[in-house]
Amino acid sequence: MSYFVDSSGSFVFQHGRTDSYRVATIPTVDDNKTADGRYKSRRKVKKQRKADDLDDLKQELDIDYHKISPEELYQRFQTHPENGLSHAKAKENLERDGPNALTPPKTTPEWVKFCKNLFGGFALLLWIGSILCFTAYSILATTVEEPNDDNLYLGIVLAAVVIVTGIFSYYQESKSSKIMESFKNMVPQFATVLREGEKLTLRAEDLVLGDVVEVKFGDRIPADIRIIESRGFKVDNSSLTGESEPQSRSPEFTHENPLETKNLAFFSTNAVEGTAKGVVISCGDNTVMGRIAGLASGLDTGETPIAKEIHHFIQLITGVAVFLGVTFFIIAFILGYHWLDAVIFLIGIIVANVPEGLLATVTVCLTLTAKRMASKNCLVKNLEAVETLGSTSTICSDKTGTLTQNRMTVAHMWFDNQIIEADTTEDQSGVQYDRTSPGFKALSRIATLCNRAEFKSGQENVPILKREVNGDASEAALLKCMELALGDVMSIRRKNKKVCEIPFNSTNKYQVSVHETEDNSDPRHLMVMKGAPERILERCSTIFICGKEKVLDEEMKEAFNNAYLELGGLGERVLGFCDYLLPSDKFPLGFKFNSDDANFPIDGLRFVGLMSMIDPPRAAVPDAVAKCRSAGIKVIMVTGDHPITAKAIAKSVGIISEGNETVEDIAQRLNIPVSEVNPREAKAAVIHGSDLRDLSSDQLDEILRYHTEIVFARTSPQQKLIIVEGCQRMGAIVAVTGDGVNDSPALKKADIGVAMGIAGSDVSKQAADMILLDDNFASIVTGVEEGRLIFDNLKKSIAYTLTSNIPEISPFLAFILCDIPLPLGTVTILCIDLGTDMVPAISLAYEEAESDIMKRPPRNPVNDKLVNSRLISMAYGQIGMIQAAAGFFVYFVIMAENGFLPMKLFGIRKHWDSKAINDLTDSYGQEWTYRDRKTLEYTCHTAFFVSIVVVQWADLIICKTRRNSLIHQGMRNWALNFGLIFETALAAFLSYTPGMDKGLRMFPLKFVWWLPAIPFMLAIFIYDETRRFYLRRNPGGWLEQETYY
Amino acid sequence: MTAHYRYPSSKHDFYRGQWYNPEKGTYLGRTPDSWAKIGLFYLIFYGMLAALVAICMWVFFQTLDPRIPKWRDEESIIGTNPGLGFRPMPDNNEESTLIWLQGSNQTNYEKWKMNLMGFLSKYYTPGMIEKGNVPTKRCSYDEPPVRGQVCDVEVRSWEPCSPDRHFEYHRNAPCIFLKLNRIYGWVPEYYNDPNDLPEDMPQQLKDHIKYNITRPLERNNVWITCVGENPADVEYLGTVKYYPSIQGFPGYYYPYLNSEGYLSPLIAVQFKRPRSGIVINVECRAWAKNIKYSRYDRSGSVHFELLID
Repeated sequence: MSYFVDSSGSFVFQHGRTDSYRVATIPTVDDNKTADGRYKSRRKVKKQRKADDLDDLKQELDIDYHKISPEELYQRFQTHPENGLSHAKAKENLERDGPNALTPPKTTPEWVKFCKNLFGGFALLLWIGSILCFTAYSILATTVEEPNDDNLYLGIVLAAVVIVTGIFSYYQESKSSKIMESFKNMVPQFATVLREGEKLTLRAEDLVLGDVVEVKFGDRIPADIRIIESRGFKVDNSSLTGESEPQSRSPEFTHENPLETKNLAFFSTNAVEGTAKGVVISCGDNTVMGRIAGLASGLDTGETPIAKEIHHFIQLITGVAVFLGVTFFIIAFILGYHWLDAVIFLIGIIVANVPEGLLATVTVCLTLTAKRMASKNCLVKNLEAVETLGSTSTICSDKTGTLTQNRMTVAHMWFDNQIIEADTTEDQSGVQYDRTSPGFKALSRIATLCNRAEFKSGQENVPILKREVNGDASEAALLKCMELALGDVMSIRRKNKKVCEIPFNSTNKYQVSVHETEDNSDPRHLMVMKGAPERILERCSTIFICGKEKVLDEEMKEAFNNAYLELGGLGERVLGFCDYLLPSDKFPLGFKFNSDDANFPIDGLRFVGLMSMIDPPRAAVPDAVAKCRSAGIKVIMVTGDHPITAKAIAKSVGIISEGNETVEDIAQRLNIPVSEVNPREAKAAVIHGSDLRDLSSDQLDEILRYHTEIVFARTSPQQKLIIVEGCQRMGAIVAVTGDGVNDSPALKKADIGVAMGIAGSDVSKQAADMILLDDNFASIVTGVEEGRLIFDNLKKSIAYTLTSNIPEISPFLAFILCDIPLPLGTVTILCIDLGTDMVPAISLAYEEAESDIMKRPPRNPVNDKLVNSRLISMAYGQIGMIQAAAGFFVYFVIMAENGFLPMKLFGIRKHWDSKAINDLTDSYGQEWTYRDRKTLEYTCHTAFFVSIVVVQWADLIICKTRRNSLIHQGMRNWALNFGLIFETALAAFLSYTPGMDKGLRMFPLKFVWWLPAIPFMLAIFIYDETRRFYLRRNPGGWLEQETYY
Repeated sequence: MTAHYRYPSSKHDFYRGQWYNPEKGTYLGRTPDSWAKIGLFYLIFYGMLAALVAICMWVFFQTLDPRIPKWRDEESIIGTNPGLGFRPMPDNNEESTLIWLQGSNQTNYEKWKMNLMGFLSKYYTPGMIEKGNVPTKRCSYDEPPVRGQVCDVEVRSWEPCSPDRHFEYHRNAPCIFLKLNRIYGWVPEYYNDPNDLPEDMPQQLKDHIKYNITRPLERNNVWITCVGENPADVEYLGTVKYYPSIQGFPGYYYPYLNSEGYLSPLIAVQFKRPRSGIVINVECRAWAKNIKYSRYDRSGSVHFELLID
């Protein structure tokens, strides 16, 4: 059987099964389609190879090093348990396999990132616009003597806008990636290695296959090793499997699954207790951790939802632009324009449709939200991910550390024949229990004394629950619980001097210590014992209940069993406690107790009680899960932990809501076999990783579809990935949270991967799109809320920005069709798009939500588009038209007041624009020089511009809401109010500043010329308020179908 | 609660249903019924919008006087600085100011003559305007018109520039007519003191004002000069004659008040012997104290090119 094939194919062990067999049994046959069924484009044979590797990585780990005998192992690696490898062999291996380090994930070069910002998505549209402008200019320049420079300037401005925005967003992204880099842990790792009988301390990178290494508590395992010797050795596999409890490791082969067997320890997990010696069986990228990291970096991630939306938007805009352009190209031909002019018009119209300011607006809006999210502990690595969270419809959450505190805590106690709930909240705000009963006193004495855990020094000011502890997680939990209940544990221990101790081991499953009592008059010794409850009970003959010692009869045993089962059923780890006062005649003070060969009775003891521990959920999580549920987001728990624990936590945080049963629950209630239960009846499901392995993707789909509350337990990293892919197949937008390396492939595959900032591993942070700085699931909910809000507000912002496109394009169309002097010039269009419209459009990002956005289902990515035809219809067809009417009205007013009545203007264009004609007659017989005409024309441009600003006031106010009335929404958005003032002030500045007539060809306006747009402004406001009134009155009606964007 | 979404099965379907979808009976994504509804909606919408524009326009027009521009003098954009116009103007190309004359080619000079006559016809038949005859008055410096009267323009004062003599085009000594742009209510401030003339005024005009005109009242004119733009042009242009010989627009024609039948005074400028085969740049200037001259803006002046073949 082969170990596995690395990318170069050089590292293959052939034992048993061959490669071809495995390739043949790969279930996920690559059909050259992406997850959503579209064909992957331009896939070449070379990539096929990569895809095979990736599928290979998706397979479960398949090795036999844990099964073979130690002798065979030594032989295979030509090593020796006492002497280790020879230097020569080590050198040879190192040269063959390379250093024992993970290949760093391919980082995108900075210039590629920069180019993505410069040419991606929307920017491309602007570039095309810019190029078209330059084309138009060069056509003009080669055919006309004195070409109009407008096209040249427009091209330059467009290019400048793209470059500036590109640099801005690149800067934003590099800022958050700098924060990422600060997470990186650069401490080099060392390992103790035996080579030629000598102990050497080497850098972990220099380890090779077959090296014999020694590890002790506190070390990081330097490579995947097979244990050959161990003393109380325990490892923390949480970063690999998600199990929160330390696992003991010994030379015995206990399980077929390499991840479960006790004789393997894995690269980059931590040794928490004891010491061990092992043989390196795989290094670097070939380790389990390396495979997972490789899986993560090999995955392709799709477009973010917002990128898809922007693509769709560009398609729409381009469609409209080309349609208009071609239509007027043809019309221009019919009107008898020269073909060259028609081409210039075509380009002009297409370019005029490009919303120059929108790219910057969207970028700034996203940046603002990203900042706001960062202040709420969600650090976004990629700007586009800001919105992704908002459209999330499924969250696959890891349990340990995300939903739970990642801290064993005493949850329940059983004494005096009743179960007492301990306070597990982080801030100790929960219910308090009676600490005076004799039963509790006896129990707490045992828990305090029969405990080796100690607080690390120098943490006096840290809350007890957050202090770091030397020792085993359960003992730490007991220590903290006792410190909370009794106060200074260490002084109690000092008063009850420990005289003897038998440490815990896996055969006894108990721990005993003997103490002098704190009552100096009492010469007896106190023996205290804790351990696996059933083992403890076996050794007891009496039970301490309500201050009295009673005989342990069947009834009491029954009560014990019930309590034990109940606590176990909660997914908690239960410990039993008993004590015994040694008779002073046999064991006087100063008696020599022997811990190796117990020379004191360990039978017939007094049973005191049980204590159970769990890694409790974070306080804010149940609330957050409920919010997700009301927001229509499905929360799925995916954990490496055991099903019972997982289910218990799922129930306590509400992932499995009260009253919902799993298939197993129904079977138990009805007392029928599981197979007879109709799985559709069960809303909840707890699925074990080993079952998942046997499911086809159709069966998985069925589970995901028919169960609303799902917990996946004992899942491997590969399975997490499969679950995410399953959800995505259903069309869901999936967020994955996780902290461990085991989560990183799923994080990468997810639409948005959320890593944990504190507990998260580097690999997971690398793979994620977002980082929760406080590791709290509840922060995701805030993120979702912000994401949804920005989606709504982007819609409003785009609606606002697009509207002014119509009054900007229509003057040019009228210029062509009606032969009137141009009512609005390029410079003024740019002043609107990049000047007055910018701040108001951005200020819409600050708009409050119209209704509770967390009470509606996530948006449907198929139907609910950022920019849809209704938005275009509203912006272009309705509001934009009113605005254009306002602009033209102002234009005709100024022309008429200065002498050119409207009828005079039609058809005058050629004479108007002719430099040769120095005496053009107006309606009053006055004769205008070219220069005076142009002054009039530019005054009209300025007035048109000003009137667009005036009607944009109303547009901005109506864009605040999509359904509510303004009266309901209010004017509390001060950024927006500032935007109103800003655009007005800027318009006045552009019009009245001396010198603007030379620079921007903007002329000062008479005050009355601000007024003609006012009726149209009011019309916009009244029309839209009326429209929204009908929308609210007739939900789902025709008007909503046609105009609600 | 959670909805499950399906993506469109393939792109092919998407495009096939674009124009006409027989399954849903939709044209361009809408049923005829739906098209009718949205069409009606937009019809009403644009109808209302048109009504709004119409009302605004109507209200606005109530504020306008049909004969007096709303903004005058310093308040108006046309300003107080008239330019000059010349006739005939090339009519085949709006951008051109080149008068290309072939005296030996009858079609050519007939074309220019017809062009010019198009402009001058109202001078040869004065008072012929839409509403019938308007009382015109033979004005003089002593008898300026009263309100409502218009001064006539004596066409014979342009002799020898007359249609009978083909405006001398056939002799390659073309007459070009100049007029001052009309600006409502504009009154010139005359250079009527021979001792107070601007530095840059051509000596010929200075002498003309000083010696040819003796009555001070008759010096109330907007003077006209035509010269070559560059020294070479001056040389090529040769002798310039002005008709009427007063070489200006008499002050009694001003102010222009948009009266019925008002005719701008004209001056015919004859270039006696311009050099042939060369484009000559000519600049004519109007002279009054309140006419500011700028060659770039063409204010107070006009530019044209002359090419004689």
